[in-house]
Formats: sequence, C-alpha cells, structure tokens
Amino acid sequence: MSSTTDSVHSVSSDEFATLIEKELEWNSSEDEDDIESDRIKRRKVEELDNAEESQEATSIAMVPQTSDGAVNLETCLHQAPIFGGMCSLCGQFVKDHPAVSLGYIHKHLKVGTEEMNRIRGSDLKSLLRGRKLILVLDLDHTLLNSTRIDDVSAEEEYLIKQADSLQDIPNGSLFKVDMIRMLTKLRPFVRTFLKEASSLFELFIYTMGERFYATWMAKLLDPEETYFNEKVISKDDCTQEHRKSLDVVLGADNAVLILDDTEAVWSRHRENLILMDRYHFFASSGRPFGHSGKSLSELKRDENEKDGALATVLEVLKRIHEMFFTQEYASNPTNADVRKVLKKIRAEVLKDCRLVFSRVWKLGERPHNQRLWEMAQQLGATCDTELDESVTHVVSTDTGTDKARWAVQHKNFLVHPRWIEAANYLWRRQPEEQFSVNQIKK
Amino acid sequence: MFFHIVLERNMQLHPRHFGPHLRDKLVAKLMKDVEGTCSGRHGFVVAITGVDNIGKGLIRDGTGFVTFPVKYQCVVFRPFKGEILEAVVTMVNKMGFFAEAGPVQIFVSNHLIPDDMEFQAGDVPNYTTSDGSVKIQKESEVRLKIIGTRVDATEIFCIGTIKDDFLGVINDPGASS
Repeated sequence: MSSTTDSVHSVSSDEFATLIEKELEWNSSEDEDDIESDRIKRRKVEELDNAEESQEATSIAMVPQTSDGAVNLETCLHQAPIFGGMCSLCGQFVKDHPAVSLGYIHKHLKVGTEEMNRIRGSDLKSLLRGRKLILVLDLDHTLLNSTRIDDVSAEEEYLIKQADSLQDIPNGSLFKVDMIRMLTKLRPFVRTFLKEASSLFELFIYTMGERFYATWMAKLLDPEETYFNEKVISKDDCTQEHRKSLDVVLGADNAVLILDDTEAVWSRHRENLILMDRYHFFASSGRPFGHSGKSLSELKRDENEKDGALATVLEVLKRIHEMFFTQEYASNPTNADVRKVLKKIRAEVLKDCRLVFSRVWKLGERPHNQRLWEMAQQLGATCDTELDESVTHVVSTDTGTDKARWAVQHKNFLVHPRWIEAANYLWRRQPEEQFSVNQIKK
Repeated sequence: MFFHIVLERNMQLHPRHFGPHLRDKLVAKLMKDVEGTCSGRHGFVVAITGVDNIGKGLIRDGTGFVTFPVKYQCVVFRPFKGEILEAVVTMVNKMGFFAEAGPVQIFVSNHLIPDDMEFQAGDVPNYTTSDGSVKIQKESEVRLKIIGTRVDATEIFCIGTIKDDFLGVINDPGASS
C-alpha cells in the first residue's frame, strides 16, 4: 500500500509506456465481461509483476484484490450511477446499460432506472421525515420574464438604464445580463416566495431554456446558492424534445408539485401540475401569446406584489403542504400522495357550482373533451348540458342565446368563460359580477 | 501516481520567432502547449522540468514554419486502479459525492460510502455518521481508493470508494471552523 502513495518515481519513458500499454490493454479487454478473459488478465498481471518487480506493477496487481472486498467484479449488476462510462460500484466500463443522463449534476453522470427508483425511494423517506415535499419550478413566465436586448421596444429603452447592478443581485429585480444579451425582470414577490417555499419544499428549476441561460437565471434568483444547488434542469437534460418529464428529477412522483405556465409540456404529469398565470413584463414576451395591448413595461407598471400570482400560489402551496402532512401523510404514511391532496384542494374552488355552457365551443363538439369543461370539473363544479332548476351558473360568450336569457330570467349567474380560468389561476371562486358577459368584450 | 518521464514532441514554430531567442520561444511554446493537457497514454502533464534535446529544424514547404523535434522531461500524473488518493470534495448529493485531485474527477457512489453515513439534504448537503462525529461536505478532504479509471483526451475520470479501512475524511472544514 505504501508504494502507491509515494509521490514521484523516476522511470524512463519506454518502461513507462510498456507499463501503461499493459494497463490499457487490461482496461479494454475488460469490456468483454467473461470469466475466461478475466483469468488470463490476472495471469498477465502476475507475470508483469514477476518480470518487472517494479513498484508500479504492484499497484496494478492490487486490482484483483479489490474484487475480494465488498464488490464482486464478475457479478456486479451495475445498479449504481454510471460516471464517465464506468459503473460506480465496481469500476468496470458498462456499455448498453439503459440509463438517463443527469447532465445537470455532472456532465458525465448517468443513472439507470432501478437505481433511480432506489434513490427516489430512500430520498422520499428522509424528505418526508423532514416534513418537506419537492417543488419543480419553471423559469420563464413563472418566476421571471426575459427578453433579448435586441427586442426591447422603444418605449422600454428606459429600462436598460434602470437595470440593477449584477454586483448586488439580492436587492435587484431587473437585470441586464450582457453575457447572454438578455434583459430579465424577476416577478414581484419571487424572493419572498423562494424563501418561504424553500422551508416547505426542496426546490428544482426546470426550464426549456439553454443551460447557460438557466444557470444565469438561477444565479439571479438564488445568488447565495441555497435553493437550487445543482438542481437546475434545462433543455439539454430533457429526455424528450419539447417535453418536460420528472424522469430526470431525483424525486418520487407522489411527492412532487410542479409550477409552470405551460400545461402541454407536462403531458405525463398533469396531476402534479399547478398552472400559473403567465407573467409578461416585456412587450416582446406577450406578442407570441397574442397580447396586443401595451405591456407592463411600456405602461411602467408591474404585477401586484401582495396579491400577485406568486403570492396566491404560495398560499395554495402552504395549504397543500399542511394538508399533506396533517391528513394524508398522517393517516397513510406509506402511500401518501401529494397529487390526491392537490386534487382535493382544487375541487373545493368551485364546489356547489352547477354549470351549463352556452356558445363556448362549436355546436356538435363533445363537451366532455373541452378544456374548460375539464377545468371546471377539476375545480369541483358539476357540469351539465341541459338547463334545470339546480343550475347556478351559465357560462357563455354571448348574451343572446336561449340559455343566457334563461339565466337572466331566473336571476342566475351569467358569466364569461374567463371566470373559470380566473378561478383556476387564483384558486378562489371569483366575484361573478366582474365576469359578466357584457362587460368583457374581447 | 506521479511519474517523471521523458517525452518527445514535434513543435511547429513561426518564422517570426527565428533569432537569438529561438530556443526560449520554443520552450515557452512547449510549456503552453503541453502543461495541463492529458493524454490517454501518460495521463496529465503537470509540469515540464527540463528540455533534453532540440533536434534539427525542418522547414515546411509553402508555409515557412519550422518543425523541431523536442525531447523534454516532465512530471505526469495518472491514477491507477487500487491507488489511494487524497482528494477534495466538490459536490455532495443523494447519489454520492464528487471529488477532485488536481485534474482528476472522482465519483464516490453512496453504495461505496460506509453504511453508517447518511445523506443530509439542506443548504450544505453532506454525509454524516449517526453520532455526527464524521461529516463529508463540500471542501472536505477525503482519502479514497480508486476502483476504476478512464483517461480521455482532455479529462480523467475515476470511480472511488471510501468503504474500506483507513479511508474517509482526513480533514473536515466544517468541524474545524
């Protein structure tokens, strides 16, 4: 053993080269995982040892000894993370072992499915013991809004001068990041949000942006690296194009909540998703989504800090966390599922509402497939196609339909479809008067 | 392990360097080109310690560049299986920890961390024994054993273990501060 820790050996390069060659040969032939070659290898190593009797050779001869320890080289199933193409249990090279790349932790780290499940399982236990859940956060339109500096409109030019210094990130909210030529505005309340959420959740960032962008944004949101330490997942890590999936997140699905403004990317994890109202600060950001009016930046306004989207959702998250640990986890610790809690809380929003839709979608389309219908049902409302006494709300875009007139006659609520969307984002039944059909003309 | 070896390299030099300082230029360029690089064969070149011999230059047709065969001594570092290394922890997570010994990146999976050490999440993720006496976190110094190596053109990767006698933390910044 002592020979290996000696620091500098003087060897001629020829001698060294032959030694290295043998060692490399040893490595490459190791790929064929059979006992026969292994035996030959050992013999070769022993020969080498005898022939040269140099100190270096002893270090190679030690290798088979490692197999006498905890790990058996021949029977290793490689159920451990794979680093640089090597199994981290036995150190052998592994090929064709199905594994997900976790590039956001280390460029050369991969983890197989069984190992992933094992890590998730053991992690879940310690997570729940610490009364924490996992929260996956989207960046753009959820926590912040960015625009390319080239896309800044004339009316927004003033912002570039106002940008906060990158030397003092914790106190700023508008940053000009020259390295990526971006102007970024953090959503109001985001710092408080992260601080409070981090005490209840383990936080991840999951964005469709490039890694370089994502790390910059993480730096702006978390300059001290207390929340997102090595948990920033970007486009480069996605296993499927244009899809986000929890398969690269080191967390069990039943303990994960997702905050995102785009539902479509999470098609496999809708039950974990809390949909966010999009934050459009810059003019260039709203345009692709069909916003034609002036942007917040042009109006020199911003989302309200106290009852903005992040403050609202933080309250919801707190309720979910509370309910999860006081009811769900307390009654059934082994199968506790945060998705059930989310569903339950969501279903309280429009409880006791009985909706009938009128002229919201085209005649002849199946109402059950409609997004609004589905959304209303998830929010706890009962949806119907025919009018009767128990109906409380008629959802319509037009006051002229039969159903709309019925609602007015019977003094029931006649609301615009946006009423449902608002309730979905704000997690509260909204005052119907603000969503009457006449007022909202779009 | 470190080795002091003699290597050879063909250096191309621009004609503008021809003059009384040609040799110095050549050595400076050699250091810039070679130090800090890796070769799968020899490992990481730590430092050039001397130039043994500079051969006769050969003028290239067309470009005017001159190729000199240079023999030089250098210290190289190459990890071997079974070797014991001391390394600094760079990152700790649920799966294990990453450590660095100079240019070498080492991963120690939690399978190969002693069973009595458990992962603790938080601001400073770490592995700690149940009595709290031993802690592995970022910046900790550990002694580990290499069980697998891969030397690429520019990087060296290793798999390590600390699940053996006399391995583990040798200096803990968290405890001393």
